[in-house]
Amino acid sequence: MNQRKSELIPSFSRPPSRVLIRKVARYEEDLLAIIHESLTEFRLQIKDKTVLLKPNLVGLDPQGVMNTHPVVIAATRESFLKMGAARVLIGDGPAMDRDTQAILESVRLREFTGQLGRDFCDLNIDDVERVELKTRASRLKELFLPKTVLGADFFVSMPKLKTHHWAGVTLAMKNLFGIVPGSCYGWPKNVLHWAGIGNSILDINAVARPDFVIVDGILGMEGNGPIQGTAKAAGVLLFGDDMVATDATACRVMGLRPEKIDYLAKAGTMLGHLEAGKIKQLGEPVAAVRTEFGVVKEFAHLRDSGEWRVVSRES
Amino acid sequence: MDSITAPNSSQSTAGFAALREGLLGLLQSAQNADGGWAFHTGGQSRVEPTCWAVRALADGKSGSAEPGIARAIDFLKSKQLDDGSWPANDGMQAGGWITSLTCSVLAGCGEVPTPEIQKAIEAGLQWLCDDYPRDSSGWQKFLKKLQSKKNLVEQSDEFRGWGWTPRTSSWVEPTSFALMAFADTKPGAQLAKAVAERRTMAVGLLYDRMCPRGGWNCGNPRVYGVDGDPLVLPTCWALLALRDAPENSQRALALKWLREEFGNIQSAGSLAMARITLESYGVALPESRRSQVDWPASDLLEQGTHVAAWTALALNPTRSWPEVSRAAETQAAS
Repeated sequence: MNQRKSELIPSFSRPPSRVLIRKVARYEEDLLAIIHESLTEFRLQIKDKTVLLKPNLVGLDPQGVMNTHPVVIAATRESFLKMGAARVLIGDGPAMDRDTQAILESVRLREFTGQLGRDFCDLNIDDVERVELKTRASRLKELFLPKTVLGADFFVSMPKLKTHHWAGVTLAMKNLFGIVPGSCYGWPKNVLHWAGIGNSILDINAVARPDFVIVDGILGMEGNGPIQGTAKAAGVLLFGDDMVATDATACRVMGLRPEKIDYLAKAGTMLGHLEAGKIKQLGEPVAAVRTEFGVVKEFAHLRDSGEWRVVSRES
Repeated sequence: MDSITAPNSSQSTAGFAALREGLLGLLQSAQNADGGWAFHTGGQSRVEPTCWAVRALADGKSGSAEPGIARAIDFLKSKQLDDGSWPANDGMQAGGWITSLTCSVLAGCGEVPTPEIQKAIEAGLQWLCDDYPRDSSGWQKFLKKLQSKKNLVEQSDEFRGWGWTPRTSSWVEPTSFALMAFADTKPGAQLAKAVAERRTMAVGLLYDRMCPRGGWNCGNPRVYGVDGDPLVLPTCWALLALRDAPENSQRALALKWLREEFGNIQSAGSLAMARITLESYGVALPESRRSQVDWPASDLLEQGTHVAAWTALALNPTRSWPEVSRAAETQAAS
């Protein structure tokens, strides 16, 4: 089994990261072509590898507002298979509801991917392995993490473009809360909250670093995310080979300042690039797709304007 | 999948019996050599799937007399930590919510627990009585008064339940499992006072965390002024935990929500637990879009040992945990 490696490299000795922004107005567009073409630009070495896609499947979502859209997941899976992957798994461990099958049914994932069988992994109940947290950003010394994640040759974080009422934003890095198994830590994985959300995000990303990121921002969520916010169309897909750089760019697309998000600022010192100058921007420029996302009051400082507005399903 | 199925038709009954037999056979064959079960066949033996498999296989039988169950009980006993708790996985230094389920299962898998098993259960219950969540400590209450986010969630810190893991917050499901452990076991006299105190606070917490329109989610009934949506499984666990509590309007509202939601359930695990819960209250099963027989036994086992076990339990009309209410039997017969 391949074992994911911790990779703490100071920003000054990292090569520039690459982030590609594509305008995609609707899920009905030819996403397979768009995603395959975008992935090809990165010249990823995928042949004969086992790829694990980690979408954000956070809850029952018949309207397609809170979860990574199934058509994006399916098109990404198909693209990696076309690129020669031996196997493309899809896995997540929803944080608030242990009935993962109910969530899959509500998002109709299999209607887009076909039957998955064991190619879908409920990370909440996967076999686990003890992993020492060497970064010690949080007070956690270790976590038990899914073997499917630790053993994947190529690990892809696929978040939804969302604001978050406790973390500010939930993107590729926060998405990795979903690899922490509920069968060990519960629903929600409350031990991570007590250890500090931001610092836990750093610890997890340091030991289970995604190799690639695809952000579903065609329809995002603003305000009281990750569940109760309001749908916000941003019309973009983001692709990146550095989760910090991709998250930072996604923040800029949302009109938020990534350097004001504590965990992203820290991640920029050891896990990837935060500064726009260190990110090779491909595709659309940020300014061309920028869409102002509302945030809850506690995160007003993330907005360039300093304004805030609580936006939720009921407002 | 849009058709409506009547759950009590004779065709369903025959299909249910066959599915249950198939599930029990698959569960038996999925037992690992060490006596435990994994969530997925061939995987690591873990305490939780072992508990659910034992509960399904021992249901209505003499329990520990079955060789497979006896080996499973040995497995469970071997995993108990020195402080009386059970950990979710080998190598974890601290126990957690699974202690409650293990106590319940050990107490229910034989006519009378052996002295050795009773001792293990008592140690588990003692741990539960001593394990207080961190969020409702005096210090944390003081800190919350200073925080600007104090209105983020609207819930009372006067109630205390249990967390999934020690030194965290109270949540609906682990609190429900602890209440079920108290109900399913016979705590000794030395624990009676502590159990009674914890039970009162925990029942209060469950009602405090109930969603405004009935039912429960993990324990966030309202965040930033927005009502939380109830979910099937937390609602089932809470209702099962409140079976012995005095009848009240909130519980009736939760039962109403679950009954109305039953027809919309799309997953096998939730369908099984909702059936078990409603029948334990004597509520006639409404029509549903999905039926347990929509999934072959092998698919259910692939979803997880717990899903296979819940379904096998749900399909047993004479199940011992939790018992089918006589009212339900009457309704089914009429």
